[in-house]
Amino acid sequence: MNPTIKLSLVILIAFEISFTQVWMVNLALLIVSLLLMIYAHVSFKRLLWLTAVPLFFASALVWSLKLQGSTTPHFLGVIFTRIFVYVYLGGWFSQTTQPLALARSLEQNAKLPAKFAYGFLAAFNLMPKIQAEVATIKAAALMRGQVLHIWSPQLYFKVILAAMNWSDQLAAAMTSHGFVEGAPRTYATTIPLRHRDWWLLGLSLLLVQLGLFCGLP
Amino acid sequence: MKNWHLRDIILVTILAIFMGVIFWALNPVYTLLAAALAPLGLQPLANEILLGVWVMAGPLAGFIIRIPGAATLGEFLGAVVEMFLGGIWGASTLISGAIQGLGAEIGFAATGYKRFGWGTLALSTLTTTIVTFAWDLLRSGYATYHLNFLLLLFVVRLLSVFFFGGVLTKLIANLLIRAHVLPTTNR
Repeated sequence: MNPTIKLSLVILIAFEISFTQVWMVNLALLIVSLLLMIYAHVSFKRLLWLTAVPLFFASALVWSLKLQGSTTPHFLGVIFTRIFVYVYLGGWFSQTTQPLALARSLEQNAKLPAKFAYGFLAAFNLMPKIQAEVATIKAAALMRGQVLHIWSPQLYFKVILAAMNWSDQLAAAMTSHGFVEGAPRTYATTIPLRHRDWWLLGLSLLLVQLGLFCGLP
Repeated sequence: MKNWHLRDIILVTILAIFMGVIFWALNPVYTLLAAALAPLGLQPLANEILLGVWVMAGPLAGFIIRIPGAATLGEFLGAVVEMFLGGIWGASTLISGAIQGLGAEIGFAATGYKRFGWGTLALSTLTTTIVTFAWDLLRSGYATYHLNFLLLLFVVRLLSVFFFGGVLTKLIANLLIRAHVLPTTNR
């Protein structure tokens, strides 16, 4: 499935079920996304993780709503299943989509300006370096006997200086390799947007609407 | 008003990733805190206490980059980073990220992206709190809580967002101004 279409589908459904209260649709959605993940060979360990964590948070939220609020068992069921739909739908998307393919698709299919698509990609490729930099900053402070906490302005200060430095260098590097903002581009890899993708999006959304508005509990 | 250029786009993304990486370390704390509060039925409080940390990327990006949309984009990209780092909340992270970013954005937009000082930041933390709280009223069923508990949740959230998104962001900005990487004007 085309990454942009897949992302739209996941976000639209997640957004819609945040407002509606039909637990049977939630249940159907979570089963379908679970099956899709199994079909995509998501590892068993990952599936277990994706089940255990929401199980804890959903139970805790339901327990809290029961103790501190006035609510019906039906609503608790809706909230409980809703959390699983979020997690499984999101899990299906992030486990079956590469960031590179998503950026390319957003540029080619969704007409996102190239400067955004390539800017995001350039920065995302720095991910391991960024993780190392945070560790370095903390270690360097420790050597001088300072412990940098999540509430220490110095931690963010150093991080922001590094970010400014790197973004200058990356932008300069891209420009020197011939990247021009707004210039027409050709694509080395094209991401196909087939009729099938549109049909899948339309039919899935239609099914969800039918389920939500035909009077199911 | 400035426009988006390649350097700003890379900067906002790198900032979002940095924040994502820093906050990644906080996930176990959140889980432990939630577990400790859960038996009393106070689990949402864990969320409220730490919410300020999650929404910080918005005000920080808005304050440093100062282009319309910077707060929204910073917060949203933070959510994307979290999703691809393996955060479990997936699609709902993206929606929350966009909503949190928009909340912060309203504060900056209200002053026309011209004034960058205490007032704007305080306003931005207030709008963030209100917008995200309205979202949780719907999404997490907060609307069914008793009024007293609801007020407690709101006040804790406001304090958390004010500390991290307001006080801490201002302290960071002060350091940046002293280092001459942010302009000193616009108090």
